[in-house]
Amino acid sequence: MVKIKKRKLGEAEIPTSSMADIAFLLLLFFLVSTTIDVDTGIGLTLPEFIEVKDQVFVPISKDRLANLLINEQGDVLLDGDVIAIPQIKNNLKARIESKINQPKNKKLIVSVKTDRKTNYNLYIQALDQVKGAYAEVKDTYATSVYGRKLYDLTQDEDKDVREKIPTIISIAEPEQVKK
Amino acid sequence: MKFTKKRASTKQEIPTASMPDIVFMLLLFFMVTTTLREHDVLVSFKLPDAKAIEKIENKRLVSYLWVGGDGRIQIDDSLVKLNEIQSIMYGKRVSLPNIIVSLRIDRNSDMGVVTDIQQELRKASCLRINYSTYLKL
Repeated sequence: MVKIKKRKLGEAEIPTSSMADIAFLLLLFFLVSTTIDVDTGIGLTLPEFIEVKDQVFVPISKDRLANLLINEQGDVLLDGDVIAIPQIKNNLKARIESKINQPKNKKLIVSVKTDRKTNYNLYIQALDQVKGAYAEVKDTYATSVYGRKLYDLTQDEDKDVREKIPTIISIAEPEQVKK
Repeated sequence: MKFTKKRASTKQEIPTASMPDIVFMLLLFFMVTTTLREHDVLVSFKLPDAKAIEKIENKRLVSYLWVGGDGRIQIDDSLVKLNEIQSIMYGKRVSLPNIIVSLRIDRNSDMGVVTDIQQELRKASCLRINYSTYLKL
């Protein structure tokens, strides 16, 4: 009779030495992939709310004011000239730069005005251009005067830059669309 | 005289068998503790992109306001009407005087609703705002 040999079972073991590596990989994956969503955006300070009857009209000279109008079709008007949104930055930069050495009450005011039906994205793009123009002028000024980038300035220097080139953006109230 | 070097009789090995457990514990710790205080966003929105953006340096001051593509407005965890914004935001401002309102507005919204919200915020004297945008690459 043939003897059926019982196959000897090998010791059943899971190799655990690489377990730590796997766990570390998982840990790293979680550490890297959990993007804590950062709050980035365009900061702005709104003017105080004043009742219409209490509002005081302050005349502003024409050369101080950069009038930016965006209508509902997406056309952009800067001081009466039709321009494209990416052109806003370069247009404004020259005007901001020309007013660096002017006194405080003569600095440029950028007024952004939209229709009620204007697309929000367009408004943000235009505002982005204005902000970008200010940022670039500030950066150029910082490099030419202090020889450093804007972010490397000391507090006093930063204050001086802010005083020389204040970001004044006026968000005009949109006109009512005639019904 | 013959000197024999004294050797420890125990094995000179670090037991690594419990290493995965330790690492898993770490992993669990991270997974559990990183519960970001998230709001349940009830509106659908897609933020616009911009280049000249800044980071809100103090997250504690931020309060969010969402506007969806359909024009619905959400503050904290509930949908609100336009005329309710003023009282809600005023209450927030009283408890947190230098509050920053982060406006998370859908990119296809009309400026009309944005302006209405801004007017309400002005009435509530929440003047520091931030148009939330992604970084344009």
